[in-house]
Amino acid sequence: MSDPVRPEVPARPRRVLVHVGTPKTGTSYVQDVLFLNRETLAEQGILYPADRFDEHFLAALDLMELHWGGLETQAVGAWDRLAERVREWPGTVIVSHEILANATRQQVRRALDSFGDPATTEVHVVLSARDLVRQVPAEWQENVKHRRTFDYRTFLDKITDPARDGELASWFWGVQEVPDILDRWAGSLPPERVHLVTVPKPGAPRDLLWQRFVAALGLEDVELELETDRANPSMGVPETTLVRRINQRVNNGVLANEDYRQLVRELLAHRTLSRRSGSPRLALPPDVRSWAVELSESWIEELTAKGYDVVGALDELRPDAVAPEFCDPDAPDESRVADAAVESVVTLLDEAVRLRHVEQRLNRDLASALAELDRSRGLWFRVKRRLVNIADDNRAAAMGLAVYRRARGKVPG
Amino acid sequence: MTARPEGPDYAQAVWSWTEHLRSGGSTPWSDWVAAGSGADAPVPPTWSPPGAAQLEVVRRLAGLAPARRVGPAAFEALADVVVTRSGPGRGLAQQPLSFPSGAPGRRFGAPPTDPSAVPPAELVRVAVGTLTQLLLEGPGAPPERTELRRRPLTRSPAFALAGAPVTTSAVRRALGAAGHAEGGRHPRVVVLAEPLDQTLAQVWSARVQRGAPVRWGGFVERWSRRRDLPPSADFVRLARRWRREVGREQVHVVVTPADPARVVADLLGVALGRERHPGLRPRWKDLSPAAVDVARRVNAVLNVRAAGPRRADAVRACATLLAAVDTPAPPLALPERFRDWATTRATRLTDDLRADGYPVHGDLVRVVPRFESLPTAPRHDDVLRVVVDACLRRAASTSS
Repeated sequence: MSDPVRPEVPARPRRVLVHVGTPKTGTSYVQDVLFLNRETLAEQGILYPADRFDEHFLAALDLMELHWGGLETQAVGAWDRLAERVREWPGTVIVSHEILANATRQQVRRALDSFGDPATTEVHVVLSARDLVRQVPAEWQENVKHRRTFDYRTFLDKITDPARDGELASWFWGVQEVPDILDRWAGSLPPERVHLVTVPKPGAPRDLLWQRFVAALGLEDVELELETDRANPSMGVPETTLVRRINQRVNNGVLANEDYRQLVRELLAHRTLSRRSGSPRLALPPDVRSWAVELSESWIEELTAKGYDVVGALDELRPDAVAPEFCDPDAPDESRVADAAVESVVTLLDEAVRLRHVEQRLNRDLASALAELDRSRGLWFRVKRRLVNIADDNRAAAMGLAVYRRARGKVPG
Repeated sequence: MTARPEGPDYAQAVWSWTEHLRSGGSTPWSDWVAAGSGADAPVPPTWSPPGAAQLEVVRRLAGLAPARRVGPAAFEALADVVVTRSGPGRGLAQQPLSFPSGAPGRRFGAPPTDPSAVPPAELVRVAVGTLTQLLLEGPGAPPERTELRRRPLTRSPAFALAGAPVTTSAVRRALGAAGHAEGGRHPRVVVLAEPLDQTLAQVWSARVQRGAPVRWGGFVERWSRRRDLPPSADFVRLARRWRREVGREQVHVVVTPADPARVVADLLGVALGRERHPGLRPRWKDLSPAAVDVARRVNAVLNVRAAGPRRADAVRACATLLAAVDTPAPPLALPERFRDWATTRATRLTDDLRADGYPVHGDLVRVVPRFESLPTAPRHDDVLRVVVDACLRRAASTSS
């Protein structure tokens, strides 16, 4: 808990800005900039309450009682700790994580209540949104990067089924259905306190999205360092197919979650495969595209009627009229997949060599530490250790050792 | 298609039905709506309707509350826990209730449903969240006495037990209750061997009772990929370890006895007779697969809700509670794809035990699973019955 710099603040309500998603709209970048600049922000009266970069993620896991590959054990009490820091800060506070989009009404109520007395606390909800035609493939890819193995068509069939009767569809719509997310999070707020940041279309200036976040989060007067090394880059079609095939081979006990995170998601997906250029990008097949276009129109209509503060333009949620060529990840160009696989093997060999060097160095360190320890011990200890080693292969010595252990009360219980 | 709910009629109906359920009523939603009940109900301005799954769980609880002797105040408090929280973890979105008035409704969000049509898996999720909350809020379970300390000058024979954990716990408890504590110099060792699939189910149960959130299928999958068996299922390794200490003739292998405590008592030459320590409890309870499944789901929620001694208390309280409401059921069968592995491993166990030449009581062949037609996963309906009962038992015990 380190919020050392307390600003002098004028007598006006505290502001709490809760950025609740959606995934794949630049949220990782925003959170990283806020985290890296948290001291600068605090000097300007803005608190980003985090001592580790994933603190708001852990708080969200706690609020929503979600398990996440074992990370949840680090989340015990995280929301209450976050909320306490929010309540104690006299100025503006920013909370941000995209999985908050999926909170239920009860969880939203608990979250908003925990920020402090509504009479003195002005809560604003910020939601960043991108058109569905780009979000749907991005969500499937995100699923693949989280060990899922279903193919693209299965994913599309599940999310387009109006019954939404499954975990996958429930999660997808929970974090992507913009009108419903805002209804859950901001149903009790006046529309001017609800800020919808739209993601610009491809070809827009690189920093336009960030400028919109700056406006929505009220960061215009703060000079921020914008260089970060955290992002959530996307892969092309053959690369995504490759990771899905890897998942089919390494799930079910081959790779523990932590190993998967480090080796598959970080090393392969983020640091190798997403940097390959020239691969076809994921897109929607024509039938699903027309469904998404129609749905987008109904969203735009609803959001227009709600009168929220739109930072950007609702038109940007409308898919482009011209569809890119669809390249089916369920029937990919196998030579491209093979190329991606070879590059992955090379990356893993590099990593194996690096780890071998680490192992050799540690072995040298250990040998010299053991030699040092031996020199500090007496002759009797060295004789006993020699005898124990002999007992491994010699039956008489083993029986003698058993008698000795019984006499010393070391019989296993 | 059912019209999406909205407007005061819907809110009034849901509010009045919620109040009806909180007071112990169990009228189904469809009957409530058909009767036009609640038209005059004053809905509090800040109230937001719970989801269909939460309300259906309250209705199921209400149906059983009188039989479980949960008083009105305790039941209302229990119902409030259910409706003010969401199901933990991932599952279906919170669904509004279907409402036939034809009122124009929200165009977005999860589709409405009749609460009676909510899948049992979703009801289980909500009920498990409730049970976890009750375990964390109420008093912790006092530590149980699971071991009898061996007195220095006891006339009980020296003995040690090893093997299938639940069976071993039950035998240890029966002998302990009769005054025979494990331990002593140069003990007679009894390795209790069950069919390998049932032994694995016992190891899974014990792991879950220690706080693991692992599913049965995942548990078996992991072990099937390892060179070794779980320590308490590796009868060969257990027997050999003891053979080194006490000699072959002192290690007895007892295979799937119908009354294990009696067989072991006879083997040790002791009488079970009168219970001198009736308060002694088995370390690992003999829980049905559904109860183990409830426990592992609670453990998963506890992972994100509590740590350290608070978590350990809740895990222990959960096992004790489940043992109290559980009814016996056969163990789970191994999923089909692991059966060859289990047969191979069990055959090797029996071959090695036979070759090692221990005194064997029973037929070693029975260690090899027969895969009789049993389910390979707990049924959601059974799990729901156990968790609903556990919630009621917990609510009744904390209010009394």
